[in-house]
Amino acid sequence: MARSWLEYKAPAWVQWCPGCGDFGILNAIYRAVAELDIPPERLVVVGGIGCSGRTTFYVKGSNAHALHGRAIPMATGIKLARPELTVIVAGGDGDLLGIGGGHFVALGRRNVDITVILFDNAVYGLTKGQAAPTLPAWIKTKALTSPNIHDNVNPVLLAFSAGYTFVARGYAYHTSQLKELIKTAVRHKGASFIDVLQPCPTYNNVMTNKWYEERIYYVGEDYDPIIRTREDFKEKLPAIMEKLLEFGDRIPLGILYWDQTKDSFEERLEKIMPGYMQAPPGTRRISVDGRPIVDPFEVFKDRVIVT
Amino acid sequence: MTDLNIIIGGPQGGGIESAGQIAVKSLVLKGYNILGSREYHSNIMGAHSYYHLRAKEDKPGSLTLPVDALLALDAETVLTHYREVRPGGIVVYDPAVKATRVDSIQPMAPPLKERVKKDLESRGLPTTAEGALKAMESEGVKLVGLPLKAMLRKVSEEAKAPIASVSKTVNTLGLSAMLYMLGVEPGYIEKAISLQFAGKEKVIRMNVAAARIAVEYVREVYGEPEVLPDGPHKGKVRMVASGNDLVAMGKIVAGVGFLSYYPITPSSDEALYLERHKYVKLDDGMAEKVGYDRLSVVAVQMEDELASINAAIGAALAGARSSTTTSGPGYSLMNEGISLAVEAEVPIVVTLWMRAGPSTGMPTRTGQQDLLHSIFSGHGDAPKIVIASGDHVEAFYDAIKAFNWAEIFQSPVIHLLDKYLASAMASLDREELDLSKVVIDRGKLVDNPGEGYLRYKITEDGISPRARIGDAVMYMTGLEHTEDGKATEDPVAREQMMFKRERKMRKVLEVLPEEDKAVLYGDPDADVTLVSFGSTKGVILDAMKMLEGKGVKANFLQIRLLSPFPEDLVADILSSAKKVITVELNLMGQLAFLLRAHTGVKPDSQVIKVNGRPIYDYEVVEGVLKALDGAGRVVVSGGS
Ligand SMILES: Cc1ncc(C[n+]2csc(CCOP(=O)(O)OP(=O)(O)O)c2C)c(N)n1
Ligand SMILES: [Mg+2]
Repeated sequence: MARSWLEYKAPAWVQWCPGCGDFGILNAIYRAVAELDIPPERLVVVGGIGCSGRTTFYVKGSNAHALHGRAIPMATGIKLARPELTVIVAGGDGDLLGIGGGHFVALGRRNVDITVILFDNAVYGLTKGQAAPTLPAWIKTKALTSPNIHDNVNPVLLAFSAGYTFVARGYAYHTSQLKELIKTAVRHKGASFIDVLQPCPTYNNVMTNKWYEERIYYVGEDYDPIIRTREDFKEKLPAIMEKLLEFGDRIPLGILYWDQTKDSFEERLEKIMPGYMQAPPGTRRISVDGRPIVDPFEVFKDRVIVT
Repeated sequence: MTDLNIIIGGPQGGGIESAGQIAVKSLVLKGYNILGSREYHSNIMGAHSYYHLRAKEDKPGSLTLPVDALLALDAETVLTHYREVRPGGIVVYDPAVKATRVDSIQPMAPPLKERVKKDLESRGLPTTAEGALKAMESEGVKLVGLPLKAMLRKVSEEAKAPIASVSKTVNTLGLSAMLYMLGVEPGYIEKAISLQFAGKEKVIRMNVAAARIAVEYVREVYGEPEVLPDGPHKGKVRMVASGNDLVAMGKIVAGVGFLSYYPITPSSDEALYLERHKYVKLDDGMAEKVGYDRLSVVAVQMEDELASINAAIGAALAGARSSTTTSGPGYSLMNEGISLAVEAEVPIVVTLWMRAGPSTGMPTRTGQQDLLHSIFSGHGDAPKIVIASGDHVEAFYDAIKAFNWAEIFQSPVIHLLDKYLASAMASLDREELDLSKVVIDRGKLVDNPGEGYLRYKITEDGISPRARIGDAVMYMTGLEHTEDGKATEDPVAREQMMFKRERKMRKVLEVLPEEDKAVLYGDPDADVTLVSFGSTKGVILDAMKMLEGKGVKANFLQIRLLSPFPEDLVADILSSAKKVITVELNLMGQLAFLLRAHTGVKPDSQVIKVNGRPIYDYEVVEGVLKALDGAGRVVVSGGS
């Protein structure tokens, strides 16, 4: 291990409630990036707004804190401007799947090389416990005045159908397994998604640690989520769909789907504009001695007329 | 002195835009300066659309009515524009449309039908295209009939192609006939056709054949016209570009690295033009200097405007010159992002092409209704820079300056333009896009921030050294923060940051040259001062000359910087104004509101236009004369 996880611990008071699942996720992130040996200034944690989004301030990195729901587009801009950086999005279920749902889908379509970690507590933590898009119907958590009558969205199935090429589920209190998932997700070249089940001891009094412990299990050695060819996809799809759909008495954890056949968005950009990666927009020079490097009469010939 | 005004009208999808552009190119080749704009419906096919064009020796600042020539490619055009041709002018039309009744034209707007019928009936004319043609004839307009069907058959024979495939040349037939009647030699028309369809040999051949057939026909029937003298701008390398094009060009010259957008009229064509040039090969010398030989701009169509602004913010944080482009409805969605860019001090350029609102309003029509919207956008005391361009040349330079200011002041810069400028084409000389006037200034951007870097360091001018994401451990946030970017709610730290952001805006007013704040044109001692912003500039300058002919001495104060408002400068200029009249294309009198708020000057009158059409020179004249007669507010309503 090249770096100690302590190198990534930002000097800040971590504001979460005692026993919050977010602590487990934070620890898993520290350990994953340490083991991946990512220099802190090359690590970009983009947080949404919510308890979960505060992760931005707790990890030492070159970080940005977005608006509620907008972490994914902000991260997309950062990554496309500097494709050499490691970009991780940390957001809540309200943030990523409620107000930011459109962006969640769009990231899958683009397959930008970003890792999205969903802090899935099924409630809006920071605004005091309202129902989040992942709260199943008819559950009445304590801040609700009557049972939830919205059905829940299935984040892993949504990610799969949107086009994410790496889809996994972890559990907040299983730090070392989660760390491994994060490492694999970050190494994957493309949009990766980890749905992290995260008990909220303050507001989700139904989906508690005990509730999860009774349901979760890890997919076994015999389960093969990896797609290496298009034929693979056809063959493995039924088993993959079964795992993606399973959420109830039993909830599978681990890598559920991993498509290794697709180009990332950056690779697609490189294909249409060779050289993009070598001189990306964030760091390339745009002037020489304070002067522009292109002349309109040379570049925009389609608008030039010689009279 | 030549002052040639033309309208080319027909159904949307019927080649009106390309006919307009061929006309523009013919006249530019002939040595004239041109201004031309397209008016169209929010529709793909069938609704009425027209190209409105002016050619002069000097630069036309305004389109105007009535015109010298109308090309009517269908009955609806005849019936829409028959009151817009001057006596002695010409109308080129197809006699086959004569019998068409107003009521039978489906796309024609019912209120317009009623107005036209009423007018024709009051003159005792039939409510048909023929009635409208007779009305024109009785006012001294010359009717030039073109049997388009028979002519198409000829084109088909000549080009050895079936009628169906040559039917698209009907616009070229009409246009060539009209230009020839106006004295443009066929050589110019043919060259313009080759330029318009460059690379498409078959299309060029067909259209040139059509042009020749049309010219031959009118020569036979109407005789050889008097040749239009050449304009003074021959033998030059010139540019003919729209406002959309010039902003895209400015962005690329400025070094834009990232452009996000969500399609919306009238901004889409800017993005489209930029995308066409997003990958530029540098010459070897330059490549060696900058260390790469292909300049690539990441231009991404996002899922919505929320994504556009936030992705642009992300790219800016990572060091790219970053921009997004939109119109009113999209800008509404971007509001929260603007506020974030203010709080997190992110240098982004948002190009805002105003169109007629509220709501979806009239998507393809013009207006200046988002002045206050842009200035006050973003919740929570969010000061920002707003600059409005008056014409094509300013649009180009402002696009570049916007990036400099965004980076120098680490602030969002809103570049305010409108639909009229977006689609208006203008001819420009090399000297007008002069790169020796352009500097690239990235402000306090640091490449090596080093240990202990503080993103929001408190400084005297409010501006902190700015490192790229990826070069230092740091925190950027829309939460109120301390110097290190960590969230805080401490009252003292909060106040410090509020005033830090305010100091930056003070600095803007301190360092920007006067020409970028407000410019007074004309005699400072004039009897009346017209105050305006944006694309009315050329119109007002033209109107000033017309007013002088009527014995009214007017000058013109163009406000360029709308936020932070250059109140001392404007107050100073207005303190010696004898009478103040604002001219703007919105209902509320938004500029008048700002003048009162910032300088205490209440305009004596306001000239406004809200019908979605650009304002014309004669309307400013009319407005000013009425205002001088004591009218408080004059509404002008020209255009079809
Ligand atoms: C545009 C906007 N609307 C509403 C809010 C208020 N808000 C802050 S956090 C939050 C929900 C947080 O829930 P979630 O994303 O699940 O994160 P958690 O706190 O549960 O980690 C809301 C609605 C906001 N900040 N911005
Ligand atoms: Mg939540």
